[in-house]
Order: sequence, then structure tokens, then C-alpha cells
Amino acid sequence: MSRHLLGIRHLEPEQIEHLLAMAKEFKKRVSTGKPVPSLQGHVLGMLFFENSTRTRVSFEQAAAYLNLRTANFAAQASSMAKGETLKDTVLTLRFERLDGLVMRHKESGAPTLAARYFGGPVVNAGDGQHEHPTQALADALTILERKGTLEGLVVAIVGDVDHSRVARSNAWLLSKMGAEVRFVGPRTLLPSHTGMLPGQVFHDLASGIADADVVMCLRLQKERMDGGIIGSIGEYAKLYQINRDTVRLAKKDCLVMHPGPLNRGIELDDVAADSELSAISAQVENGIFVRMAALAWVFEGVTPARRVEQPAPKAKEKAKK
Amino acid sequence: MRTLLYNGRILDPSQDLDLVGSVVIDDDQLDYVGPNLPEVDADEVYDCTGLWITPGLVDPHVHLREPGQEYKETIVTGTQAAAAGGYTTVCCMPNTNPPLDNPALVDFILDRAASPEAGGVFVAPVGALTRGMSEEQLTDLAALKKAGIVAASDEGRPIQSAAVMTRAMEFCVQLNLPVMAHCQDASLAAGGSMNDGAMSAMLGLKGIPRSAEEIVVMRNCILSLHTGCQVHVMRVSTWGAVELVRQAKYLGAPVTCDVAPHHFALTEEMVGDFDTNFKSDPPLRTQLDVDLILQALNDGTIDCISSDHSPHASHEVHAPFAEAPMGHAGLESTVGATLTYLYHTKVLTPLQTIEKLSTAPARILRLEAGTLRPGETPVAQVTILNPDLEWTFDVGRTFSKGKNSPFQGMAFKGKAVATFCGGEIYRDARFDDGRIRQVG
Repeated sequence: MSRHLLGIRHLEPEQIEHLLAMAKEFKKRVSTGKPVPSLQGHVLGMLFFENSTRTRVSFEQAAAYLNLRTANFAAQASSMAKGETLKDTVLTLRFERLDGLVMRHKESGAPTLAARYFGGPVVNAGDGQHEHPTQALADALTILERKGTLEGLVVAIVGDVDHSRVARSNAWLLSKMGAEVRFVGPRTLLPSHTGMLPGQVFHDLASGIADADVVMCLRLQKERMDGGIIGSIGEYAKLYQINRDTVRLAKKDCLVMHPGPLNRGIELDDVAADSELSAISAQVENGIFVRMAALAWVFEGVTPARRVEQPAPKAKEKAKK
Repeated sequence: MRTLLYNGRILDPSQDLDLVGSVVIDDDQLDYVGPNLPEVDADEVYDCTGLWITPGLVDPHVHLREPGQEYKETIVTGTQAAAAGGYTTVCCMPNTNPPLDNPALVDFILDRAASPEAGGVFVAPVGALTRGMSEEQLTDLAALKKAGIVAASDEGRPIQSAAVMTRAMEFCVQLNLPVMAHCQDASLAAGGSMNDGAMSAMLGLKGIPRSAEEIVVMRNCILSLHTGCQVHVMRVSTWGAVELVRQAKYLGAPVTCDVAPHHFALTEEMVGDFDTNFKSDPPLRTQLDVDLILQALNDGTIDCISSDHSPHASHEVHAPFAEAPMGHAGLESTVGATLTYLYHTKVLTPLQTIEKLSTAPARILRLEAGTLRPGETPVAQVTILNPDLEWTFDVGRTFSKGKNSPFQGMAFKGKAVATFCGGEIYRDARFDDGRIRQVG
């Protein structure tokens, strides 16, 4: 059985702690020029079915530090564009002797499907509106560095929670580690049923971020206006923007975070984004180290290129419960 | 050739019959139904002790996929699955490719169903309400009726315009054709792939809200009330839809409805980690919906049970959740699920169970079926059920091409073990065991 990182929802708190400790150690070692473990001999497939610059570069960097060779797979030029199913693509890559996959896909659950057929470790680099586990780990490492702990913190996630995989992964991670999670936004941008998500719902910014130790802004996709989900960008900014004035509603030393890319002037103004409260650049940098941790963790105990000789998984059994 | 079905529990809701007795089939006709006779001259005798002898089952809602999607199912494989599932009549839906919108296609389906390779069951075609299922121009309903459709439907592409639906109903009143309605508001359901609820929020999947179903159930009930058109609401999934049907019946609208096994047995949580075998249309809902659906089955608000047999190819099902098709191959699991979840749980009595699986759908669609009265069906239509047989449903061993089932691997109690439509068309090996003997 391969180890995968498909979502934070599936992890135990001890596993999260372990991943964060690994990331911390890797950061220290890379920053001081000390050696890190080598995964030489493994080839990592980079399957980005959806455009991404930041996450992709971050994974490339992480792989490079670990001596992992990457094989890039451009979805537009691939067989997927020629009508191949995702399952067949994944099976093909297995027999191309790739050892692991990093996968981003526009559909929630696509990496779960890939993991069922690939036979080696799969790391979810963002699937639809489901999860983006390495982003949550990067955010958690950033909070840990600045606050020393996650336990007992009040974290407000502000904005388009309904469409956000970052929000879901963060909510799982932070709540599993003992933080209090709040979802803040208008009714149309929050999930209509939050019974199975670990967060309290607030529609009013002031009460939602009151006493918050961390305020996480989410990116507002401009196309959300089309379906009538919000009235206008201006109205959204007026009600939910974190700026010079509203940031004062949270704790004095609150952290302001954003998974990027930023819409300056919409979710955040310059004052909030660039002040000493902002942790945005640390989030980006920490992304590399948590992705090193994620890769090292899923490859634990995997011998390069031996996988292919193992019998193929029985598709029928795995497809059902 | 005379066949004696001896000492079974005869259940015929059409004449309120529940007695231990015998049935005699003479060639392809029912000759006798009643108490055991001291002496019967028969070529074959089946010992039906402990078994139910019922009118052939009627499925008001199946997709046989032919013409156009023979890779999912054909009329041959679909009717074989029907026979194995205990059905002697299946109503096939019009959303084929091309859709069933002209009399030539009705002829084609009836021909294929009558071919010797087919399963030997009656196929009752349901015609499209609009040409090409465009939701705009009505089909030639009179010609379709003459060709043999038993109802007209917008299955697969629910008519959004209330004006178009009103006119469709006006025609159907005149032609005395039931309208089988697929109730879903397209704008609310757009892009959705499971119930809009806690589970979809957790998985990051766009939900189909219950309002999408209920709004159109209500609209169609209102239109039925005002036009007088007989409307059959297909496979309700929410408690609200059930309540709306209840209200419409109370107001005197000629409205009926059915439910499919996955909606009385399963809930949204079963989607688990994106398991596409649990992707249904309408989606699996919540325990509250299931509880109130069970109540409505018991009190008669829900008239009958359909399999909503929707076979798909495996390669379509093994896809990311939002991209996978909806629905399940159900012809061979519906009786098992019904007996397990409705009869053995005492939601339905034996007579009620057979009413919902046979007599009610036959009555709603005015079919010559659903009864054991000799002479009231064109040929003998008899199903033998073993209500206590414990078995495990395995899609790998079904006749249907569709292997997409939420019941895969589930333990059922109760099974159709033999089906007669004219002559014998299906017999389970477990039924055979010591029960059949040649006489004379």
C-alpha cells in the first residue's frame, strides 16, 4: 500500500505534527546549507491538469532539494486532450515507470481516483474545491513560526469558503490541531451546510474576526459575480475587505494571511498586505519546505522503480467501498 | 404443456388474494389460480412451498439505451436482466439517441423486444414529450400512442417551461396518456453531482438542492390539477417532494409517484471518498428523507417502486465524481432491495409489496399486467419470489451490461427465483434445487 497525501481530512494529528516537524527541520537544514535526505533514483510525475505557477514551482523546488527528478506533464498537450480517461492516463504513467505523482485537477476527488490506480504515492496539489493539503501545511508552519503554537488560536477564514480548497484543508488542519476555526463571508460564498466541516459560520466581518489571532483572506474569483453570487466586487470589498480599519477588529498582533494570488484592493488593501502583520511571503517560502516534507513522507520506504513489478491493483475491488 | 406451481403463497393485490394454493399455466395461459387441488394433470410440477407466487412484476422506469448507446445496454441484455430480476413488463424511457420521438422508433423497440434473443418480457415504450427532447416542439403524440407508447415523458431532459408542459399535458389528457415527469429545475441543479448538503460541502462538490426537485414536482402537480392530466412523478427523493404529492392527491389531482431502491435504502454519506457508484439522479439524500419515504410507502402516498435502471459503461463510472454519469443498473437488485428494506423491516406487508412492484404500476400505466386473473393478461405473467433467500448481490454476475451499482456486495434477503411470461423465461439455480419434477 502506497502512502498518499490526498487531503488533511484523512490525517491524524500526530501525522500533521510529524509533517510540520519534518518541514521545520528541512527549512533549518536548507537555510544553513546542511544536507537533506536524498530521494535520488525516484522520478516524480508532475500532473497539472489545471494551470498553476506558484504551486508547481514550489513542488519543483522541493523536489530539487530532495534530488528527485521530475517529469512534467502538460495537460493541454497530453493524451487527455485526445480523449483519454484519467484512469488510463494514470495507468500509462505507472508503466512509464514514474515513482510518484503530484497532481492538480479541476475536479474534486480526481487525485483520490488517481491514487486508486497509480500504485505509487500520490500527492494532491489541489483538487477542485476539495483540498489543497500542502497549502494548509505551509500556512500552519507559518503560523507556528509566528505564534509558537496552533492550539487555542482563533483563526478566521474570510471570503469565498464555498469554492475554496485552501479553506477546507486549513479548516481540517487547524481544528485537528486544536485551533478554533471561523468561516466569515456572505451566505452565497459560504457552504450552505457546514455540518461536516469544522468551522463556525459568521456573516458579519466584525464579529467574525473579533479576537482573531489569524485572519486568512481567500481569493475572490471575479467570475463569481456572473452567477449572481455576489452583487459587485465593490460591495464585497466594502463588507469583507481586510484593511487599515478592519484589521483593528482582530487581535492587535493578529497574523494576516492569503494563499495567493492576491487581488489587491479587493480582499486586502496595501496596508494590510504589506504591514508587519502580514505573513504572505512567509507562506510562499514555507510552501517549499512543507512540500519537501510531504514528498519525503509519501516516499518513505518506497524503493525506486520497483513498483512496476508489483501486481496491478484490482480495479473492481478498489472502485467500491 | 401444463405447468403446476404447487403449494405456494399466492399474492395478488388485484383481487386482494393472499392464500396458499396452486397456479396452473396451460401452454402460455393462466388456467387456474386458487387453493391446492387434489389432482392436477401437469407435465411439470414446481413445489413452491415457502415461496410467493405473484403477478409478473412491472417496472415503470428503465433505460434500455437502444438505439444509440448500445455500449451501455441493449434491448436484448436489458430484457434478460428484467427477466432475471423478476419482471415481465418494463417501461423503457425515451432518452435514447435519437430520442423515442417518432413511431418508427417505437416499432423498432417493439421488434427488438420481440426477437428470440431478447429476455422474453414485455417492453412498454414511453415516448418523448418533445421532438428531439428539445423541450420546445411537441412530438406527434397521437401517432406515438397508436404505435404503442404507454406514456409520454421528459425523462433525462426535464421540460423547464411551464407553458410547454401545460400544452403537453393538454394533448395527453385528450389522448388519455399518462405523463411521466422527471422533476428537476435545471438552473438550480446546474453543475451539481450529489445532494446539496453537509457531505457535498465537505467534499467540495457542487450540490443539487432539494428545491431543484420540489419546485418542479409542485409545478407539475399544479398543472395536473388544472389540466386534469394524469401525471406520474418519477422517483421522488426528498421528503418535500413526497409531501407535495400527498397534497396534490388530497386536492384531487390525478397524480401518482414512484421511488427507486437507492432512495429508500441509501443516504448521501455513502458517497464516502468520491465513490461514483453512489452517484444518482436525483442524488441520494439524507436519513430524514429515507424515513419519510418509508412512511409514504407504507401509507400509500408513494404508489409504486421503480428500478430506475440506468446502466453505464465501466469506463464512464471510473471517472472523477463530477464527470461520472448518474444512475445505477437496478433491474437485478430491486426485488432484493425491496424485500430486504421494505418487507423484512415491516414497512410493507406482502400484499403491499407486490402491489408496489406489480399491480400499481400496471394500473397507473393501464397495462394488461399486474394480475393473476386468468384472461386479463395477454399471456400468463407470473413471478416466483423466495422471500427468505439470503444472497449477496454481485454485479459481476448480472445479465445487464451496466455494472454500476450502489448495492454491490450487499447482503439481501429475498429474491426473484423464477419468471414466467407465457412460458418460463428465467429460473434461478437455487430455485431448481429439488423443486421441479416431471410428472407422468
